[in-house]
Amino acid sequence: MAEIALDGVEKAFDDTVALAGVTLDVRDGEFFTLVGPSGCGKTTTLRTIAGLEAPTAGSVSFDGVGLAGVPTEERNVGIVFQNYALFPHMSVAENVAYGLKFADPPDGQSVDERVTDLLELVDLAGMGDREPGQLSGGQQQRVALARALAPAPEVLLLDEPMSALDARLRERLRRQVKRIQSDLGVTTVYVTHDQAEALAISDRLAVMHDGGVEQVGTPREVYEQPATEFVASFVGENNLLRGDVTEADGGGDGRTVTVSVDGAEFSIGATDAAVGVGDSVTFCVRPEALSVDGSANRFSVDVETAEFLGETTRYYADWEGRTVVFRTPDSHDGRQLTLGFDPADARLL
Amino acid sequence: MRTGRLVDRVGVPLFAVATLAILAVTFFYPVGIVLVEAVVVDGRLSPATILDIVRSEFFFGIVAAALDDPGVLVDSFPDYPLGLFGFTAYQALLSTIASVLLGVPGAYVLARFEFPGRRTVRSLTALPFVMPSIMVAIGFVATFGDNGVLNDALRALGLPTLDLLYTLQIIVLAHAFYDAPLIARITAAAWEGVDASVTETARSLGASPLRAFRDVIVPQLLPAILTGALLTFIFSFMSFAIVLALGGLELATVEVWVYHRVNQLDYATATGLATLEMMFSLALTYGYLRYEARQRASSATRPAPRRDLFGSVTPTRLAVWAYCGIAALIFVVPIASMLLASVTGPNGFTLENYAFLVERQADAYGFQVKPLTAITNSLVYGVGSLAIAVPMGVLLAVISTREFTGRKLVDTLAMAPFAVSGVVVGLGLLRGFVFGTEVFGYRITIAGPIAIIAAHAVGAYPFVTRNVVPALAGIDGTIVESARSLGASRTRVLLDIELPLVIPGVLAGAAFAFAISIGEFDSTVILATGGSGYTMPVAIERFIGRRLGPATAMGCVLLAVTAISFVVIDRLGEGRGLGG
Repeated sequence: MAEIALDGVEKAFDDTVALAGVTLDVRDGEFFTLVGPSGCGKTTTLRTIAGLEAPTAGSVSFDGVGLAGVPTEERNVGIVFQNYALFPHMSVAENVAYGLKFADPPDGQSVDERVTDLLELVDLAGMGDREPGQLSGGQQQRVALARALAPAPEVLLLDEPMSALDARLRERLRRQVKRIQSDLGVTTVYVTHDQAEALAISDRLAVMHDGGVEQVGTPREVYEQPATEFVASFVGENNLLRGDVTEADGGGDGRTVTVSVDGAEFSIGATDAAVGVGDSVTFCVRPEALSVDGSANRFSVDVETAEFLGETTRYYADWEGRTVVFRTPDSHDGRQLTLGFDPADARLL
Repeated sequence: MRTGRLVDRVGVPLFAVATLAILAVTFFYPVGIVLVEAVVVDGRLSPATILDIVRSEFFFGIVAAALDDPGVLVDSFPDYPLGLFGFTAYQALLSTIASVLLGVPGAYVLARFEFPGRRTVRSLTALPFVMPSIMVAIGFVATFGDNGVLNDALRALGLPTLDLLYTLQIIVLAHAFYDAPLIARITAAAWEGVDASVTETARSLGASPLRAFRDVIVPQLLPAILTGALLTFIFSFMSFAIVLALGGLELATVEVWVYHRVNQLDYATATGLATLEMMFSLALTYGYLRYEARQRASSATRPAPRRDLFGSVTPTRLAVWAYCGIAALIFVVPIASMLLASVTGPNGFTLENYAFLVERQADAYGFQVKPLTAITNSLVYGVGSLAIAVPMGVLLAVISTREFTGRKLVDTLAMAPFAVSGVVVGLGLLRGFVFGTEVFGYRITIAGPIAIIAAHAVGAYPFVTRNVVPALAGIDGTIVESARSLGASRTRVLLDIELPLVIPGVLAGAAFAFAISIGEFDSTVILATGGSGYTMPVAIERFIGRRLGPATAMGCVLLAVTAISFVVIDRLGEGRGLGG
C-alpha cells in the first residue's frame, strides 16, 4: 500500500487549463474522494495519478518516489472506469486473470486460486466462465473491480464507477466497495460528481473546482465547516447570505459577530474568522438549521413551493427577493412563516 | 518491463518505416520509373516525349491542333476532333450520366420503399467493389455478342440480329452496370439520413409535398449524387478491362492505348501517356477527396417511413415498377447470360466448358492459354498477395489510428495507390523489376509472378486498412487504459486486446484483398505478357471472341470466388468499402 502525494500538479490541454496547481496527500490505506462538478479536473487528477496523463508541471509520487516518466503499466495501480471497460473477447475469469500475466499473485497463490478468491470477494463466485456481455451492469462493474484488485495493486483508482447504475444498485454497490476497500486496506482514490456519495463513502475528500482544490477534510468537516462559498453551496444544500459586519465583540475564538443583510441583523456565533466592523462577509445556514418560530435570528418569509420528501418536507420561500430553503419534519400550511436559527448553526465563510 | 518500454517507443516507428519501405519498392519506385522514363530521352532530361503527345492531334485532338494554330477553333467549329484523351473523358462523362440516371431512382426505391429482400439488395450494391471488371465484360459479351442471349432470342423470333459489341453504347452500359449501384448506395444513405421531422416541418409551414421535396430533400441529396458521380467519372476514365474487351482498339481509351503501346514495345509513348494520365487522375482524385471530406454523414433519429412497394396501383408505383423491371434486366441478365452460356453447347446442356477448365491440356501448344494454369496461378497469387496485403494493411491501420508527428504524411503516402491505375503500376514493375534494375553494379531482376503478387498486394492493402481502421478506432480508450494499468505494455495491449477485437475487420479486409487479387486484370495483363504467369481474368480476355464457352465458365468460377468473398465482407465488415 502506498501514500500518494501530488505537488503543484498542472495540466493543460492545448489552450485549456485542466489542472491549475493541485497539491494533495492521500494517506496509506485511506478511502479518498475527489468530488466536484463536471470539468473541475477531478478525472484529470485521477488520470495523472494513474500515469494516463503526464502533468505539464508538478509531480506525483507514491511513498515519496517520484513517478515522472513511469508508464501506467509500471505504477502498480488498479483502475475501474465508469463504463466497466471489460475485455469483451475474454471470459469473466480471463478478465480477472489478465493482470496476473504481468505480476505474480500475492501470498504464493496460483492464478486460478487468486481468480476464485476475487470472484468470491465481489459476490460472483462461479461466474468465471460467463462472457461479459451476459452480465448485468452491476455485475460487470464488480468484475472490473475484481480485475483491478487481482494483481494486489498499491493504489486503487475508481473513476465514477457507479454513475451508469440505477440509484438503488448504486447504494448497495457503494457499501460493498467500501467494505472490500477497508478489508484490503488498499489506498483508494475515488472520483465522483455526486457530493452525497462522496460524503457517504469517504474517509476524507477533496472538493475540486475550476482545476483547483477548494477544501480537503473529513466528510463532517467539509459539511459543517465549509471553507469557501463554492464548498458551502456544492456540498449539501445551503443558504448563502451576504452582508456587512456591524458588531464584532471581543477577540479570539468563540466570539459572536453581527451581520446586517439589507437592514436585518443576524448574529453568527462561534466564529474564529478575523473580521472587523464594516467588512463585507458571506455566511451560510443549512436548511435543517432553520426552524419555524425559532428563538433567535427571526425573519419572515413567504412560502412559494413545498416538496414532500418522506421524513421531511423541503420548503422554498421568499425573503426580501432571495430564495431561502428550509427543511422540517412538520408540515406548514401557512403562506407566511417566521423562521429563526441558532447563532451557533451559522458559519461565516 | 524496461524492454516493454523500448518496444513501445520504437515499435510503431519501426512498423511505419518497414511498411513504407515495402511500399517504396512495390509502388513508389515502379511509378517513379514510369515518370522518369517519360521525361528522360537518351539519358538526358527532356520534355520531348510529353510534348510530342500533347502536340499530337491523335492524342489531344482539337487542343493539339489549336496549339499549332488557334485558328482551327473557329474554322472547324463545332466539329472538333476529340483525340484519345478527349474520347476517354467523353466516354467517362457519358458513363457518369448513365450511371446517375440508373442509380438515383434506385436510391429512391431503396430509401423510400419496403419490400422483401430490400436489405439484401442494399448489401448487393457494394458488390461492384469486388466484382472483376473482366467478368462484367464477359457477361456483356454473353448477353449482347453475336451468339449472345439477346441475338439468340431475336433469331428464335425470326427477327434481324443486332451488332452491339464494339460500340460506345455497350461500353457506357457496362460502366453503368458497374457504377450505378455505387451511386444508388451513396445517395440512398443520404436520403435515409434526412429526418422525417424536417419534411414534416416544411409541410406544416405550408409547402406542398413536391415543394418540400425540392426545398428540403434535394439539397441534401445533391452532394451525395455529386460524390458518386465524381467517383464514377474517375473509375470510368481509368477503366481498362471493360473498354479493352468490349471496345477494342477501335474505341481505345488512354489506358487501352498504353497497353497497346506496351505490346508494341513502344515504351516511350507508353510511359509518356501513363504520366499524363496519372497527373490527370491524381488531380481528379485529389478533388474528389477534398469534396468528400467536406460531406458530413448525417443519420436520422426518425427516418421517414417506407412505403410498401407492392401496394395499390398509383402512378408513382407504376413508374417505380417500370424502373425495377429495367434495373433487373440490366443487372441480372448479364450475370444470368454468363451462367447460361457456361452450361450450354451446340447440343443444349453441357458441362464440357467446365471440364475443359480442369483438363491437363497436354496437347495445347506452348503459346496457348491453359485454363488450369490460369486457375492455379490466380489462387497462388491470391494467397501470396493476401500474405503481404493483410499484415501491411493492418500495420497501416494501427499507424493511422495512433497519434504521432508525420502521421498525415504516412496516411497520404499509404493511400496513394488508390489514385494510380493498375496499368501504370504494372508498367512500372515491368520496366523496373522484370527488366531489371542496377543496384551497386548488380542487375536485380524479379520474376513476373513475384511482380504480379507485388502489384496485387499494392492494389489490395488499402482495402484491408479501410476495413480495420474503423474497428480499431471504435475500441473504447478505457479498455486499452485498463489493460495498461494491469501491467501490459502498449505493444502487449495491441496483441492481447486490440487485434483480437478487430479480427472481423481483418477477415473482411482479407476477403477484400483476395477478391481484388483474383479479379485484378490491369497490371496482371501487362506483367503476364509473353509468359505463363497469366491468371483467370487474363485468360478470359484471351478467350473472349474465340471461345465463349470456356470464357463464361471461367467467368462463373470468378463469380463464385467473388460471391464468397462478398459474403465474408458483408457479414464481418463494417460496410465501408471505398465511398460505401
